[in-house]
Amino acid sequence: MAEDTFLSDDLLRQLMSVGEVDLLVGITSHSSAQAIRQAMQVIEQSFQQNFVRQRVVIVNIDGGGPKDEAEVSAGNSDGQPEGNPHVPILTSLRTVHHVTARFSGTPSQGTALRTVLAASDLLQARACAIVSPTTSNLTPQWIANLLRPAYRDNFDFVAPLYTRHKYQGLLARILLYPMSRAVFGKRIRELFADEWGFSGRLGTHCLNQNVWHEAAIHSRPEAWMAVSAISSDYRCCQAFLGPKPQPPTGSGPDIVEAIRQTVGTFFWCLETRAGSWLEREGSEPVPTFGPEHELTSEPVELNLQRMFELFCSGVKELEPILSTVLERETHAEIMDIVAVDAKTFRFGADLWVRTLYDFASSYHHQVMNRDHLVQALVPLYRGKIYSFLQEHANSSPEEMEEANERLCLEFERQKLYLRERWTKRVEVKV
Amino acid sequence: MALQEDSLWYKDAVIYQLHVRAFCDSNADGIGDFTGLTQRLDYLQELGVTALWLLPFHPSPLRDDGYDIADYTAVHPSYGSLEDFKTFLTAAHNRGIRVIIEMVLNHTSDQHPWFQEARSSRDNPKRNWYVWSDTDTRYAGVRIIFIDTEMSNWAWDPVSKSYYWHRFFSHQPDLNFDNPEVFEAVWEVMKFWLNLGVDGFRLDAVPYLVEREGTSCENLPETHAIMREIRKRLDQSYPGKMLLAEANQWPADVRAYFGQGDEFHAAFHFPLMPRMFMAVKLEDRKPIIEILNQTPAIPETCQWCIFLRNHDELTLEMVTDVERDYMYDEYAVDKTMRINLGIRRRLAPMMENDRRRIELLNGLLMSMPGTPIIYYGDEIGMGDNIYLGDRNGVRTPMQWNGGTNAGFSFADPERLYAPVISNAVYGYQAVNVDSQKRFSHSLLSWMKSIIRVRNAFRVFSRGSMEFLHPSNHRVLAYIRQIGEERVLVVNNLSNSAQAVELDVQRYKGYIPIEMFGRNIFPKFGELPYLLTLGPYQFYWFRLRRF
Repeated sequence: MAEDTFLSDDLLRQLMSVGEVDLLVGITSHSSAQAIRQAMQVIEQSFQQNFVRQRVVIVNIDGGGPKDEAEVSAGNSDGQPEGNPHVPILTSLRTVHHVTARFSGTPSQGTALRTVLAASDLLQARACAIVSPTTSNLTPQWIANLLRPAYRDNFDFVAPLYTRHKYQGLLARILLYPMSRAVFGKRIRELFADEWGFSGRLGTHCLNQNVWHEAAIHSRPEAWMAVSAISSDYRCCQAFLGPKPQPPTGSGPDIVEAIRQTVGTFFWCLETRAGSWLEREGSEPVPTFGPEHELTSEPVELNLQRMFELFCSGVKELEPILSTVLERETHAEIMDIVAVDAKTFRFGADLWVRTLYDFASSYHHQVMNRDHLVQALVPLYRGKIYSFLQEHANSSPEEMEEANERLCLEFERQKLYLRERWTKRVEVKV
Repeated sequence: MALQEDSLWYKDAVIYQLHVRAFCDSNADGIGDFTGLTQRLDYLQELGVTALWLLPFHPSPLRDDGYDIADYTAVHPSYGSLEDFKTFLTAAHNRGIRVIIEMVLNHTSDQHPWFQEARSSRDNPKRNWYVWSDTDTRYAGVRIIFIDTEMSNWAWDPVSKSYYWHRFFSHQPDLNFDNPEVFEAVWEVMKFWLNLGVDGFRLDAVPYLVEREGTSCENLPETHAIMREIRKRLDQSYPGKMLLAEANQWPADVRAYFGQGDEFHAAFHFPLMPRMFMAVKLEDRKPIIEILNQTPAIPETCQWCIFLRNHDELTLEMVTDVERDYMYDEYAVDKTMRINLGIRRRLAPMMENDRRRIELLNGLLMSMPGTPIIYYGDEIGMGDNIYLGDRNGVRTPMQWNGGTNAGFSFADPERLYAPVISNAVYGYQAVNVDSQKRFSHSLLSWMKSIIRVRNAFRVFSRGSMEFLHPSNHRVLAYIRQIGEERVLVVNNLSNSAQAVELDVQRYKGYIPIEMFGRNIFPKFGELPYLLTLGPYQFYWFRLRRF
């Protein structure tokens, strides 16, 4: 039996009124009315500054945050612009439409993205962007940078690039980026991003995939969309946006949840797209608009000792699971480094790569509950971070970039190892 | 049919703008004349227009199509005599058609005797009738209007060896309205024509009458004082006559020319015009709603005059740079189509001869607040000739039939003041009055029909306007109302079929009656009123309650 439509009659009515558009920006809210209002103002400014002639729409997916987003975003810019009527005001030539959709079922990022993609498909949008109101320094230029490559240069996927502190975004820099680069062969730094751009073509392709009931899609659908692009013939690029502030302490997911969401989704993506990457060798850069990835190095207080203790205790506690997930040699080496003292501890690149490839393969072979498996990576990740920060306590951003590049190459060098483990027949230990 | 006595006649008028030279040539000299125009008055009466606005017909070297006047109280010999004008005026009035003529009071031709005297010596009594200077640095920063041809607002006069001020072409020196003698001379000219019976003046280039250092030399208080004095004298001596301002300014600036109902009776709404074109191209009502929301209320006795095209370029002065670029890109890709800050094209070619869009724009023109002005030839969809130079491409001979010279003249074609349009699409064999008279579905027949409907309902000319805001932005909908008379206008600005839901709950129980076919539509109820419209389709509904 076909599922009921996930598009409400109200949303369809709003979309009918909008008609065909050139550009669509989706806001997946879950935020306060104030944050959404600010994001919408920024998007409107971007349209006014960069896309005055285009047919545009802002689609706000109401995640049920505190207050009435619908009131924030309903309607359109039909009215009189403020200001002195004597003076011509720079505004979009066309109406800037606002569409608000409420979830008909359980709110999730996946449902929100699916709704945006459906809107994009119905409105025949040529280029789209997704932004998050939680990004406090969203600017009109960010929106333009995400839309332009898809709208003017026919790219299908536009990943963001940020200026990061050298200790910021480490999960991406030492795990997700190097591994995705080695696996899929495309050098996209930010697979898990709060904002990204895409073509209507890619949006429609993703909309038509039968994945929307998968758990991995619900929390971090952006990585799946990114992987869908980089593992196919879609044209991918990166657009530099600027500094990406860290969310206030306590507002983001903790490291366990972050790894469950990102690494879990990423492993699931590897699984679903295996046919496209197993035989791929090496990696290639993608076109980048604006400067390359930037790192800054203001001093930051870190509690490394605590991190090392959590590594050691976690590995000991999860030893039975690790022995199931990891190859014997990898497991042995892990147990060796747990035994050394904090000062001489090093989690080498070679071991780190094999560890991750073992985890990915075990995930694929379902050697155990996949959620538990992914969570077992947490202490190892802490150990790697501790080692990385110890090594680079005094490194310049340039030196850290070089180290990161070496790590990436190590992932690429050992891809054969992944392929062998991935395709090997495995007896599942119960 | 005699003229109806109504001092507010200009509010209900449908004005037809024409150039005597271009309309009909009665003596086979290749140039239209008053006798020819008189012969064609039946056509204009049949069309349904109630007033004519004549472009300048005075003696002139014709370096600016007659806006360079060399004698204010005579008729250019090519167009006939003063007697011919009187005959025409009487004939027009007999058909219930009023006549508005041009009054170019900002400047004269440099061939005008006033200027010839003024330049003859610095001591000449008429020297101060114009604005002179020993340098070209006075009034620095004042914008140049004809940017394609003029480098400065000052021109050197080799005769009197000094500079004279001109806001338009250098052969059009500005009169000095700081000199009371100039004002009296201009008033004498106006009296001359009023005494002959003309019904009003279209005053050219009004904002530029007075100059003051440190200002833009536009819209100055002294200019308004001059206009108030003219209006006072007009009301005292010639009640029922009207003044129409050409002030290409933002609505809030033009508003000042209405004063407290004691300056102009009417003024052009320049910024609305390009926005109607923009809205249709953008398929979005936003430009129209924005500019009308910025348009201030005017005194009860005053009126806006609205138009689609006229004898000048489609002016893009009252738009933003972004809007101007858009208009150029969409309507004047070929740079030959551009002149000054505008587009020198006629309505039909701009609409790519798309009958639906031509009708939609005329529907907007006839249903929005203001007195509509139709430019001659647009009622049959005449084309233009962008290769004629200046704005002459939209001033070609009227196309009456498919015969010699389009029925405009029996002169040899080479003798015509301008060649007739003869291409395969807009040429006179394809587009002419006689052929369109033969068919009830022709553009001409349709124009007669819409003018007839408009003339039958005073709500269009005097009613208020209230926008509806359906969520479909491709649809522009508004209610016109005067007393108990209400009309709902719904326009699909887009090239595709549209559905629209109108919030007409306030009019629950009203029955909409489509005004062209007089068909009854379903009654308004509690729910939003659903309408579907084909591409560029529009409806006018009379709202009745029983």
